[in-house]
Amino acid sequence: MSYITIDDSKCKSCYLCIDVCPKNLIKKSTHTGKTGECIVEFSDSNNQCIACKQCAMVCPDIAITNVYKE
Amino acid sequence: MQVYTKPKSIKENSSFTFCSGCDHGLVIKLVAEVIDELNLQENTIAVASSGCSVFLYDFLDVDCIESPHGRACAVATGIKRATKANKNEKFVFTYQGDGDFASIGLGESLHSALRGENITVICINNTNYGMTGGQLGPTTAMGQITTTSPTGRNRAYHGFPIKAAEHIALCDGTAYSARVGVYNIKNIINAKNAIKKAFECQIKGLGYSFVEVLSSCPTNWRLSPSDSHRKIETELTQIYPIKVFKDITND
Repeated sequence: MSYITIDDSKCKSCYLCIDVCPKNLIKKSTHTGKTGECIVEFSDSNNQCIACKQCAMVCPDIAITNVYKE
Repeated sequence: MQVYTKPKSIKENSSFTFCSGCDHGLVIKLVAEVIDELNLQENTIAVASSGCSVFLYDFLDVDCIESPHGRACAVATGIKRATKANKNEKFVFTYQGDGDFASIGLGESLHSALRGENITVICINNTNYGMTGGQLGPTTAMGQITTTSPTGRNRAYHGFPIKAAEHIALCDGTAYSARVGVYNIKNIINAKNAIKKAFECQIKGLGYSFVEVLSSCPTNWRLSPSDSHRKIETELTQIYPIKVFKDITND
């Protein structure tokens, strides 16, 4: 099972990761972050994540730094 | 198995202070990854300029020095020559914005290239003066609306924008000059390769190496981060083509 971790304290709600995820596993959450807007959350109930790292590469705030592939 | 992690050269517990969606963070991350890959962390002196790019020293865990506005290439020249003369040559790179590099410091920038100084320059081109509120800069595109060109940049009043990578490529002392973008994954990978190549040019002692990064400024462009990247892809790359303009390692 592959997965990523998102650092909520660093997410600035730019949503660039939502655009690049090929499996649409990253979505807006209901929690607000440091900019006052909803931060993103990762939900992968069907084990669809392929650890492509695109979300981590595009994140300008290093909020997505850990990508695990198993 | 962990397949991606934070670059070692980024300070622990540091959090970028740039606006939401700003490409500065992305480029600093790429620079840090290249420093890690080339094992340069202990042997590097980074020269920060004025503007949003100045925050580099808050995030990058290498020795940094702050230069007066526009004078990063001159400061880098001094560091490179002094460390070389002391037989303790350091790897020196500057990290500048387009206003700093191509307007306020154009003399220093261009003549460093003409002298063939063995330094690397990374220029973030976001087509305005971002930190001071989005004023018209040397790279503002024709017709682009900024706070000091509310009807858009026009030829009669403001003149034409400068294309830095093309100009630097014309200098005989330049070893490498390229323009890259970070608006999609393919271009992020190409940008990292270009930065790595520019760094390697300095390590080999080939001369001045320059990378211009087309970057977004969502706050001052009044666009969302995604729309800013789309604007770069559809509009700005027509004016500022993504290309390697000079690479003497291929000659």
